[in-house]
Amino acid sequence: MTLSSTDTPTSQTANSAIVFDQVTKLYSGQAAPALDSLDIEVKSGELVCLVGPSGGGKTTALQLVNRIVDLSSGDIRIGDRSIMDIPAIELRRTIGYAIQQSGLFPHYTVAENIATVPNILKWDKARIKKRTSELLELVGLTPVDTWLGRYPSQLSGGQQQRIGIARALAADPPVMLMDEPFGALDPITRMAVQDEFLEIHRAVGKTTLFVTHDIDEAIKMADRIAILKPGGKLAQYGTPAEVLTHPADDFVAEFLGAERGLKRLALTTVGEVLAAKTDSESGLQQDSNSPQVESDLTLREALSAVSAAGAHGALVMDGGSHLGEVTLHDLVNPPAGAVGARSVEGGGS
Amino acid sequence: MNDIFGAFPFMAANFGMLLEKTGEHLVISLIPLLAAILVGVPIGIWLGHIHKGEFLAVSITNIGRALPSLALIAILIGFVGIGMLNAMIALFVLAFPPILSYAFQAVNSADRDLTKAARGMGMTPLQVLSKVELPLGLPMIISGIRTAAVLTVSSATIATIAGSGGLGDVILNQVAYGIEGVLAGALWVAVLAILVDQFFALLLRVAAPTGVRRLRAATV
Repeated sequence: MTLSSTDTPTSQTANSAIVFDQVTKLYSGQAAPALDSLDIEVKSGELVCLVGPSGGGKTTALQLVNRIVDLSSGDIRIGDRSIMDIPAIELRRTIGYAIQQSGLFPHYTVAENIATVPNILKWDKARIKKRTSELLELVGLTPVDTWLGRYPSQLSGGQQQRIGIARALAADPPVMLMDEPFGALDPITRMAVQDEFLEIHRAVGKTTLFVTHDIDEAIKMADRIAILKPGGKLAQYGTPAEVLTHPADDFVAEFLGAERGLKRLALTTVGEVLAAKTDSESGLQQDSNSPQVESDLTLREALSAVSAAGAHGALVMDGGSHLGEVTLHDLVNPPAGAVGARSVEGGGS
Repeated sequence: MNDIFGAFPFMAANFGMLLEKTGEHLVISLIPLLAAILVGVPIGIWLGHIHKGEFLAVSITNIGRALPSLALIAILIGFVGIGMLNAMIALFVLAFPPILSYAFQAVNSADRDLTKAARGMGMTPLQVLSKVELPLGLPMIISGIRTAAVLTVSSATIATIAGSGGLGDVILNQVAYGIEGVLAGALWVAVLAILVDQFFALLLRVAAPTGVRRLRAATV
């Protein structure tokens, strides 16, 4: 994995928090606002998901940040500067932007697509070439030379989306806006690209605003989740664990769905539960049918494996080695120390 | 059938005359075509870029289609009299609508997700136009020009009624040139129209950026 903070040293160190300050958007000709007095802060390096049903104003909120849509009232600040104090074109060149269906230019090669922003910033050729290679490696498309000259139509959906992310990262912007970037992918590809993006996010630490209608995606990706309800009102803003454990109102509870409790189990891995267990006593009767689960599986996945095997617990493995056992009770009621461990690890830095 | 075969000896015997008429024909058809391109393409592109003027583009196209060029030439005789100018104005009016409306559609119909992505990455409106909308719309813009070109070259035939010369002089004068002459002239015009059409098709293949050419190959 190649990191690129050397290119623009200011971007990682500078404060790149996004602050929504009483942000309202009323489209002309409409009676009700699309976004109503939104007040949230996305901290530097944080990944925040905007979720909600259609009509919740989540895409509007995103497009207000890079001024694709104009504010009606309120203010948005990136770092300490109001976005209204920066010319829109200049502002957008400092913000990575990835959209659904990748938005790749079909008449540009992979290399040309990735170099879109560096080209309009008039970087020299050698620098663009070096950066393009770095990014292809970052998104896992290697060997680099086999991808540079291809056209988007020659790529699978997942590959296109990876290029879309590489393109958004090209000029090393401190802030990323992602509008349902994985919405058009099949479930398996989607999971893979989500994992890769999380890894990239943790490595490059961009302040990221991520729109999705898929609550499971939000729970998986986000440090914090902002749930918007129809009428563009913020229903709740908190970490996935907070939102799942204490939904602010009926709307949030309903939006999270009846499987809210199970979704919460997806926040913790088997390895974390094992590490947090105080008693060395496993308590697991050695059923011959206890399935083996990898330590990086979530509790939800492990529970599914245990249930499918008709067992009372599982053997936790790391590659070939046996780390310990977890019982059904551990999986369903994880020790307090384990819950939310992922969020803490993922937040900031 | 014999008349058709008779056309070829006619061509051989009157080659010089046909060449001269072809020269006139090209002048009266290509000058208005070029004028229509110079005026129609920029206006169409601009209206398409700002996504305005759909009504104008569609209306002009419909009026252009409904307007018989013969009638137009007759009316123009009243205003500009007889001669080349009359024919060229009529042919300009004929060529302008398809060029304008294709250019408009080419840019107006550019994928909004792509233009949004382009804007979102910080392209200026001019960059969105030159890097995204124009390259992607180029094949359609050229289609409009090809349509207009075939229309002008073939319609230039009737310019003869305004006394402006061209192959119409041969085709519409059976008394002087016989049926062989009429057919020879008609074949000549048909070939000319195909050649002009193919010239613009070739222009697209040669002038378009590689990515656009590929795109076109994939969709055709």
